[in-house]
Amino acid sequence: MSDYTITICDGTACIQNKSRNVRQELEKELEKHGLTDTVSINVSGCLGMCDKGPIMIVYPGYHIYGKVSQDDVAEIVEEHLVKGEPIARLLINEDHLYNRFFRIFGDREFFGRQMRIALRNAGIIDPENIDDYLSLRGYEALAKCLTDMTPENVVEEIKKSGLRGRGGGGFPTGLKWMFTAREKSDVKYVICNADEGDPGAFMDRSAIEGDPHTVLEGMAIAGYAIGANKGIVYIRAEYPLAISRLEIAIAQAREHGFLGEKLFGTDFSFDIEIRLGAGAFVCGEETALIHSIEGKRGMPRPRPPYPAVSGLFGKPTLINNVETMANIPVIILDGGDWFSSIGTETSKGTKVFAVAGMVRNTGLVEVPMGTTLREIVYDICGGIPGDKKLKAIQTGGPSGGCLPAKYLDTKIDYESLAAAGSIMGSGGMIIIDETACMVNIARFFIEFTQDESCGKCTPCREGTKRMLEILTRITEGKGKKGDIEKLERLGNTIKMSSLCGLGQTAPNPILSTIKNFREEYEEHINEGFCRAGVCKALLKYKITEKCVGCGACKRVCPVDAITGDKKGLHVIDQDKCIKCGRCFETCKFEAITKS
Amino acid sequence: MVTPLDLIKKKRAEAVGRIISKGYLSTIRVYVGMATCEIAAGSKEVMAVFKDAIANGLTDVYLSQKGCAGRCNLEPTVEIVEEGKTPVKYGKVTEDRAKEIIERHIKNGEVISDWVI
Repeated sequence: MSDYTITICDGTACIQNKSRNVRQELEKELEKHGLTDTVSINVSGCLGMCDKGPIMIVYPGYHIYGKVSQDDVAEIVEEHLVKGEPIARLLINEDHLYNRFFRIFGDREFFGRQMRIALRNAGIIDPENIDDYLSLRGYEALAKCLTDMTPENVVEEIKKSGLRGRGGGGFPTGLKWMFTAREKSDVKYVICNADEGDPGAFMDRSAIEGDPHTVLEGMAIAGYAIGANKGIVYIRAEYPLAISRLEIAIAQAREHGFLGEKLFGTDFSFDIEIRLGAGAFVCGEETALIHSIEGKRGMPRPRPPYPAVSGLFGKPTLINNVETMANIPVIILDGGDWFSSIGTETSKGTKVFAVAGMVRNTGLVEVPMGTTLREIVYDICGGIPGDKKLKAIQTGGPSGGCLPAKYLDTKIDYESLAAAGSIMGSGGMIIIDETACMVNIARFFIEFTQDESCGKCTPCREGTKRMLEILTRITEGKGKKGDIEKLERLGNTIKMSSLCGLGQTAPNPILSTIKNFREEYEEHINEGFCRAGVCKALLKYKITEKCVGCGACKRVCPVDAITGDKKGLHVIDQDKCIKCGRCFETCKFEAITKS
Repeated sequence: MVTPLDLIKKKRAEAVGRIISKGYLSTIRVYVGMATCEIAAGSKEVMAVFKDAIANGLTDVYLSQKGCAGRCNLEPTVEIVEEGKTPVKYGKVTEDRAKEIIERHIKNGEVISDWVI
């Protein structure tokens, strides 16, 4: 354990301000003073204090130094690290809401390069105790809105921040608020969409379970901005812990007067209730979601009218995703200008990803927009176990696409992911290595979407089913010439002729794998060969000369497909073999091959 | 008139007071991850070990739960925070490991580096 840990920001702005020279200088100085063993240096991603860069943080104590030049380093080492006296002239007192993360966690490699805004409290505070949230400036953003901001000011601030919908669509949040705010109606609604359904995605669940109050506060601010008094959290019933924590949080907030009648003694009233969804994937689509709350069957309807004009029960309705709501209090307190200083030209702020698949550190990652896929996979998540080769990165869940390794240096934002052939989506990210079969992966996603298609539009209902049939056929070794072209034609038709996002995006996993991994499809169809050895029907087990005739494989074969004399070469009857692989696993002499 | 901002500052001060009165300023603070994923990995049992220890006389420890921080593959996680020291986070904490953390780390100040994330 080091006596001191020093974080140096390695964001683009700080690098321009020579943070790397500062780092080199620091390494030199530490060596000079013989402190290399007791002081550890850690490099972080953008810390969001770009105007004051290069930033250096010294722990313990969490002393933040700003505008550190090479010449300051010797002084910092001698005064602070040796004598223990922080240097007052370099200290900055940043009271930003986010970024307490590194201070509390010792887990630097994983969190150091992250920037946590939406998840700023998740994993830090006790989610069932409002005091914890209050102690970290909880509900102050709401109080600020009610004290010295008009609803128009609030909408303006959100517009200025450049925040875009985090549920996947990426529509500018400020505009959505403005559209809902300008409608004249005695009743308006704010809905928080917590119907997270992508396979492998759990950002919203973790956000709510870790910090439910921030979502409630964001909703109340939205209510104030658009003139609504009623909020609804639409959450799936299969998230029981998230629901119970939301219930606790709502009760506590009411008790303190942050929800209910006349908030903080002002004329503004706002209350929130929870509606449970039964888990249909299509109910994440906003019009289907509204139908579900109204007690109708969860099916989308054509837009316009958009929910901003005619939403729940025909009233103007604002629908934002959980992560979008969690960003709101930070924007209000730290300012839209600050928020828009993070990220890329078109995408501001951070994005949470649920990283899963073949990667060392699976988990939740929140990074500034503009971070590359490579940084997420190799720096934050530690690369691929066994140092296998990366084959593809799947983003956006069943609506997204598979990007091959050549896109690793793509900077993450809405536009660049779309240009590469995938989407940002709600934040699912699956890392795929060379042991996976891309045809099989495409099949998995279409199996999901065809099951979840609500059935309203024929192309989506029938088309996804036919696509699944063709893909199943290919993975079973019965693919025909022309299947790939048929999939492409079908996919493009479904995209063009479906009403809602589900159908419009359902073919993406197939189309993107055909585009980027066409040779794998061709191998399956033309050569009956699956290079990853995943498609069972295409597998062939063979016993080689190495066989010593021990008979172990013969005994485990469930269909008696293996014959052979004791101490003689054994043979597998390919007609009988069901490719269960038990012989392969059992053989101690590596005499059985899989191809 | 009392503005909402004045009010929230008062509420915050009260909240901080309540947290402190629950022993926040103890020498050691222990946080156990308690999200769905962590609970599935066994964090409830781990929490029980710490609760038992406190019930059986372990003093000067502030115990709290927290949500998921995102270290999925290393759950359950337990974090030990001491003022003036770098926080220590343990991964894959079982009941047995929790008992050992109490004995070795909390009582004797030894960081069990093999389990640190």
